[in-house]
Amino acid sequence: MSWDAIVIGAGHNGLVAAARLGQDGKRVLVLEARDDPGGLLGGESPVAHLPTALNPAVVKGLALDRHGLKPGRPLTTVALGGAEPVRISGGTVTGTDPTTAAAYAAMHARLVRQAGALAPMMAKTPPRLRDGGLAEMMTLAGLGLKIRRLGKADMQDLLRILLSNIWDVLTDEIGDGPLAGALAMDATLGGAMGPRSPGTVLPFLYRLAGQPRMRVDGGALIGALLKAVQAAGGQVRTGTSVERILVGDDRVEGVRLNSGEELRAPLILSNAHPRQTLNTLLGVAQIDAEDARRARLMASEGMVARLDLTLSEPPAGLDAADFGERLVIAPDMGALETAFNAAKYKEMPARPVLECRYDDGAKRLTVNAQFVPCTLKGGWTKAARGRLEKAVTGMLDDALPGTAARVTAIETRTPADIEAQYGLPGGHWHHGEFRVDQMLMLRPFGGAAQYRMPVAGLYLCGAGAHPGGDITGLPGWNAAGQAIKDGRAGK
Amino acid sequence: MSAARKPRDQVAMGLVPGPFHDRLAPLNVQQGWMNWMGVASPSVLDTVEFEYFAIRNQATVFDISPMNKYRIAGPDAEAVVNRLVTRDIRKLKPGRVAYAIWCDEEGNVVDDGTVFRFDDGTFRLCCQEPQLAWLRDVAFGFDVTLTDESADVAGLALQGPTSCAVLKDMGLAGVESMKPFDIRSFKVKAKSVTVSRTGFTGDLGYELWMAPGDALTVWDHVMAAGQRRGIRVIGFEALDMARIEAGFLLPRVDFLSSQTHMRPGRARNPYELGLDWLVHLDKPHFNGRRALVRLSKERPRRKLVTLEISRDKPAHHAYVYHRGKKEVGFVTSALWSPTLKRNIAYAWVDAPYCFDGRELSVEIYRQRELIWQRRMERATLVDRALFQNPRRTATPPADF
Repeated sequence: MSWDAIVIGAGHNGLVAAARLGQDGKRVLVLEARDDPGGLLGGESPVAHLPTALNPAVVKGLALDRHGLKPGRPLTTVALGGAEPVRISGGTVTGTDPTTAAAYAAMHARLVRQAGALAPMMAKTPPRLRDGGLAEMMTLAGLGLKIRRLGKADMQDLLRILLSNIWDVLTDEIGDGPLAGALAMDATLGGAMGPRSPGTVLPFLYRLAGQPRMRVDGGALIGALLKAVQAAGGQVRTGTSVERILVGDDRVEGVRLNSGEELRAPLILSNAHPRQTLNTLLGVAQIDAEDARRARLMASEGMVARLDLTLSEPPAGLDAADFGERLVIAPDMGALETAFNAAKYKEMPARPVLECRYDDGAKRLTVNAQFVPCTLKGGWTKAARGRLEKAVTGMLDDALPGTAARVTAIETRTPADIEAQYGLPGGHWHHGEFRVDQMLMLRPFGGAAQYRMPVAGLYLCGAGAHPGGDITGLPGWNAAGQAIKDGRAGK
Repeated sequence: MSAARKPRDQVAMGLVPGPFHDRLAPLNVQQGWMNWMGVASPSVLDTVEFEYFAIRNQATVFDISPMNKYRIAGPDAEAVVNRLVTRDIRKLKPGRVAYAIWCDEEGNVVDDGTVFRFDDGTFRLCCQEPQLAWLRDVAFGFDVTLTDESADVAGLALQGPTSCAVLKDMGLAGVESMKPFDIRSFKVKAKSVTVSRTGFTGDLGYELWMAPGDALTVWDHVMAAGQRRGIRVIGFEALDMARIEAGFLLPRVDFLSSQTHMRPGRARNPYELGLDWLVHLDKPHFNGRRALVRLSKERPRRKLVTLEISRDKPAHHAYVYHRGKKEVGFVTSALWSPTLKRNIAYAWVDAPYCFDGRELSVEIYRQRELIWQRRMERATLVDRALFQNPRRTATPPADF
């Protein structure tokens, strides 16, 4: 069988890429190893339970509303664990003293302006710092201009905090507490950095760049993307695992499946992790030792465990208005840092910090707990899982006393489980740590930030590529755009 | 604190003695030692001229043990070596040696060296720069074992027209049938010695490889057998003269490893070095191939050329000029060749002068009793390997 393009992995980025290629008239086949499409948005209880970062350019470009995606609604984050719940929605916060609320509003407004200077970079192929053409220099100059246009005070402040840590910024601006804890959670979500780690401001700005954050339904998003792929003439095959990317004369020729079947295509976009794409699917023999080393050594230790708690009745003390909202249990930034300290040394934190969502219909509380190392010291034994579950229910009970007694069943997925179930190295949500040395023109690593891989016809289209993780759809969108552009240029 | 600790032996100049040190030290009347990978290596033992002429007229021994040596063994050994070097190593048969270079992802030369193939799945790489980290990167994902055997293998270069006769006198039966780049195993006084017909002199010569513990036994036997053949121990300076005549490059002198330079643009690719013949773009992917494909289509921006210079003063460190005015390059290695009676030098010369070669000159300074004289000497491009002698390849070698 031969196709114009094959996309490896039906995660949301793979589907976005497939739909965009399809719109360009290409016959696209999407191959998914799991039995259901959607990647971390797929399955019965998706790991990504609160997608809020979907980029409007993707929605518009693929006309996802016509394929059944309903407009999102603004996200409310409820920070629990303080005297009373702190509710954060955009620049507005309730449940704190008025001084803090005002300080937060001012800080938020400024950070959103600053993040706005970075935003145009997200929907573009990052420019090369050398050997780039005029267009790439213009992208770079455009970024500089955007930052300059912030005005002197904002620009200086941005350059001051850009490589700094979120702990210092929040301590200076609003002081510590549940509000700072919840915001620091945004800066470190899914990664292996504590709030005091340098470079935690940039991921925070990244997440602010997509303001206002709108919650979309993950299942509906995948459904709409599947329809968009099909409407563009593409096909999706699940339960089909790729063993090897086939290469001839330094160009991709297709893929060989685990079943032995070979599928031909001159263009392959991989939604798999960069390490897996290069060192496993393509094979190190096809690439230079330097790239194999970079792929091997890129930071990708996942630190989020997932627990699905079935409850006999709603969490004790949780306001019914907060059902379905984003609940954060991180009493202060110190709690995050302490949890991270343990994980840093491959140990289980006694008090992990939690991001939860309660679904009253299913009587289910889904909990993402960090920082929980993928490569836990002593391994993921039954006892270790028990300790994790105890630690998580303990945290929950501190914030919402009486809830632990209502838990009737717990289903736990450690980062190691996520790694195995999703074929995701390190179980890392973002296919590689979201930090300064792995962002923008350095994502996934230097020299590989333009989606094109060394073998002609191979592109990265997953979260490992710029602009990175979260459910934005942008890596897939950008990668497909780059592949189309290169195809027209005859590359 | 314990007071019972014995003071450690002091090592001269912070250098470690090599496996032949006990024999070299009494002969080194000049006390001229160089640092070669941290080992004390003789620069000149008594007179560089005597040592040089022994290379071209008799037999010489030089300790090459400080060279870096790596064993690459296992089912994927051929694939790893072929991925490392730019030439097609699949064509190298067991029992043979090949000169090779290897490149980084930008097509710049990391190092050069010799690849020994002992059998299908066992290779040894001999080179100037430490390469274990690089080899580990190149071998990642392949089924091979890498061993740094630099300190586990002693090497002795036996070079010169009578070198084969010396080996025959030592009782190495059939050694005369070895062709250039052959490897063979022998017993010397019951010690295992691997002999390769290789060298850095462009002359008839062999390299003897053995366990460091056997080094002095083998040395004594070589020297005893060499008595009648005019054998002489030499230092690096004499070898350096021979290698310039023979057209061999020296890393750190004629080019820098792309892994050691600090400033951008200091690395050099095979096309600039004039080593195109070592790059086989038609073999399966190897390190730097994509960059080399691109570079092979471009005209090099500069080249390492060999110059013949008028008069007799070696052009050490000289600038190269076009029409006596425009600076277009500089000399890396220079020699008045006593055998060729020609004044030669290697120089980096910018394009297009490295191709055209007309109207080049070098600036030579001479000091005569504290007064400096500056002369512009005419320079012309010549082929690199100026010293060519049929005895280098003749098999069997003539019995001098």
